[in-house]
Amino acid sequence: MLEIHELTRSFGDRLAVDHVSFQVPPGQLTGFVGANGAGKTTTMRMVMGLLAPTSGSVTWQGAPIVDEVRRGIGYMPEERGLYPKQQVLDQLVHMARLRGMPAGAARAEATELLGAFGLGERTKDKLEKLSLGNQQRVQVTAALMASPMALILDEPFSGLDPMAVDEMADQLRARAASGVPVLFSSHQLDLVDRLCDGLVILAGGRVVAQGTRTELESRGRLLHRLVTDSDAGWVRDLAGVTVVDVDGNRALLELAKPGLVDRVLAEAMARGSVRELAEVRPTLSEIYREVAA
Amino acid sequence: MTRPYHLPRNAWQIVAGREMVVKLADKSFIISTVITLVLIAAGVGVGAWLGGRATTTDIAVTDAQAGRVVVVVDASLKASNDKSSATPITVASPDEAKAKVRAGDADAALLHTDAGWQLVFHKSASDSVRMAVNQAVQTVLIGDLASQAGVSPDELAQRTAVKVELLEGDSSRADLARVTSFAFAILFFMSALTFGLQIAQSVAEEKSSRVVEILASAIPVRHLLAGKVIGNTGLALGQMALYALVSIVGLMLTPWKKFLPAVQAPMAWFLVFFLAGFLALACVWAAAGSMAGRTEDLSATTTPLTMGLGLVYFLGFTATGALQTVLSFVPVISSVLMPTRIVAGDVAWWEPVLALVLNIAFAFVTVLFGEKIFRRSLLQTSGRLSYREAFKLTD
Repeated sequence: MLEIHELTRSFGDRLAVDHVSFQVPPGQLTGFVGANGAGKTTTMRMVMGLLAPTSGSVTWQGAPIVDEVRRGIGYMPEERGLYPKQQVLDQLVHMARLRGMPAGAARAEATELLGAFGLGERTKDKLEKLSLGNQQRVQVTAALMASPMALILDEPFSGLDPMAVDEMADQLRARAASGVPVLFSSHQLDLVDRLCDGLVILAGGRVVAQGTRTELESRGRLLHRLVTDSDAGWVRDLAGVTVVDVDGNRALLELAKPGLVDRVLAEAMARGSVRELAEVRPTLSEIYREVAA
Repeated sequence: MTRPYHLPRNAWQIVAGREMVVKLADKSFIISTVITLVLIAAGVGVGAWLGGRATTTDIAVTDAQAGRVVVVVDASLKASNDKSSATPITVASPDEAKAKVRAGDADAALLHTDAGWQLVFHKSASDSVRMAVNQAVQTVLIGDLASQAGVSPDELAQRTAVKVELLEGDSSRADLARVTSFAFAILFFMSALTFGLQIAQSVAEEKSSRVVEILASAIPVRHLLAGKVIGNTGLALGQMALYALVSIVGLMLTPWKKFLPAVQAPMAWFLVFFLAGFLALACVWAAAGSMAGRTEDLSATTTPLTMGLGLVYFLGFTATGALQTVLSFVPVISSVLMPTRIVAGDVAWWEPVLALVLNIAFAFVTVLFGEKIFRRSLLQTSGRLSYREAFKLTD
C-alpha cells in the first residue's frame, strides 16, 4: 500500500499542496480528482520524488519510500514524455531497460502490450507519426512495462476516444486485480465514477473528501423521487420531509430519517396510484461540487 | 509485492548507448563527418600530388663543362625534392640542341656561346630550372677557377658553405607548428562546439518533451548526466581519432612523411588533451541544456560556452611567445596550445603533464558545478533559467 502523509509543498508564498493525506490500497483503482491547479500533479511529482516536499512523507508498505521502490513505480507524467523522433518499440525497450529489464524480455513485453492496444503494426513507426490517442497508448504502455509495483498515472484518459478509454480501463483493472495499487488523476468525473473503487478529491491543495464510492455517496444528500398520477403538492404538509422540488405529479424529497419512506408511500397510496418511488443517489459531479465549493 | 527487476548498475551505459546510436543514425552527423574526412583526404592528396610529382628535366648540352653544370643542377633539384632530377643529353652542335628542344625531346638546352652561357627553352622558361642552372654555373666555374688556384673542391665547399642557424627551434618545425596549431585549433573548436551543443540539445529536448520526468523517476539523475556526457565524449573522441588516422595515413603517402615522427606524438597528446578539455566543458553544456526549457532557449544559455570556445579558437593560433607559454597551462586553452608547443619542440616533459593535471582538476570542478545545476534545473518547468537563478535553486 502506498500512503501519503501530510504532504505539503509551497512555491514561494503560494501553498500548492496543503497537508494532503490519503492511501492508495492494492487491488483497486484510486481516482484522484480535482480542478486544474488543485495540486494533483504536484502531489504525484512529490510521490515520485521529482519534487521535494516542503513537509510530509510518503510510505510504501509502512516504511518511508526509498528510491529503489520509486524506480519500480510505473509513472506517466502530466505532460507525457517520450522521444518524438524515436521508433515506438525501440524507446519502450530503452525505458524498460533503464528500469532493469533485459532487452530481450523488454522487446517481447512491449510487442505484446502494443498488440493489446491495437498498435502491433506501428511498432517501427516514429512516435510523432502516431495520432495523439495512439501516442497516449504508447505512453501508458511505457508505464505498464517492467512489472511496476504501483502505477501513478497523471490524466491517462485525456484525449482518448470512448473505445480507447475502455481498452485502457481494462488494462488498468487487470493490473489492479493483480495486486498493484493504481492511482490516476482525471477531471472527467463520469469516467472516474465508472472506473474507480476509491476516490480522493482535491480542491485548493487540500483533500476535501476521500473514500470508497459508497462512503462518499453517504456524505451527499440522499433524495427520493416520487411520481404519482395526480398533483403531488400534498407532500409539503408531511412532517420530517423537506421538499426539494415539486412539479405537477412529480416531487423530489429529502427525508429526515430513512424510515419515513414507508410513510410517504402509505400517504401517496392513500391519495391515488403511485407510479414511482425511488432513491436518488448523488452523482459524483454533485458530490464534487458540494465538497469542492 | 516485489519486483523482478532492479535499477541496472550500468544505467549510464544504457543512456550513453542511446546517445551514440541516435547520433550515429543522424544523417546530418554522418554527412558532415564524411565531408570533413573527404576534405582532409583531399587536402593531403592535393599536397601529395603537387609535392610528389616526378619532374625530370632533360637538358641538351654540347660540351663536358655544360654536362657538369647539369649534374650540379640535378643535385640541387634533388635536394629540394627527391623526385626531381635533371639529365644531360649530349649532342653535337647548338643547332641540334635547339632542334631537340623544339621537337620536345629535351626540356632545355644549355649552350656555351661567345657572349657567355645561354639557356634555351621552347615556349616557357621554368624558374626553378633557370635558378638551379644559374647557381650551378657559378658553382662549376668557381670550382674550376679554384682548382686552377690549387684549392680542392672539398675545401671550396667548406669555405663557401653558409649554414643557417636559428636561435630557437628550426625553421621547418616552426612552419609545421604553425600549420598544426591552426589544425588543432580548428578541430578542437569544431568538435567541442558540435558535441557540446549536442549534449545541451539532447538535454533540452528531453526536458521539453518531458521525457526527463520518466527518466528521472527511473534512474538517478547522475547516471543520466554521466551517460550523456560519456556517450557524446566517446563520439567526439572517436571522430577526432578518425580524422587523425586519415591525416596520418594521408601524410604517409606524401613527401611530408618525414614530418610524421614530429607530428605523431603531438597528435596523441592532442587527443589526450582534447579528452580533458572536452570533459571540462561537457557537464557545463549539460547544465546549459537543463536551464533551457526549450531548444529555442539554448542559444541564450550556451552563450558563455560558445564565447569561451571562440576565445580558445582565436588564441589557439594567434598567441605567441610568453603569452603562448602561459596560456598552454590554462585549462581548455591548453588543449590547443600545449600540443602546438610540443610540435614546435620546446617543452620539457613535465609541462604537458602539468597542463593535463590542471585541466583534469578544472574538469573536476566543472563536473561538480555542472551536475549541481543539471540536477536542480532539470525538473524546473518554468521556462528558461539564468546561471544565477539556476545556482540559487535548491533540490
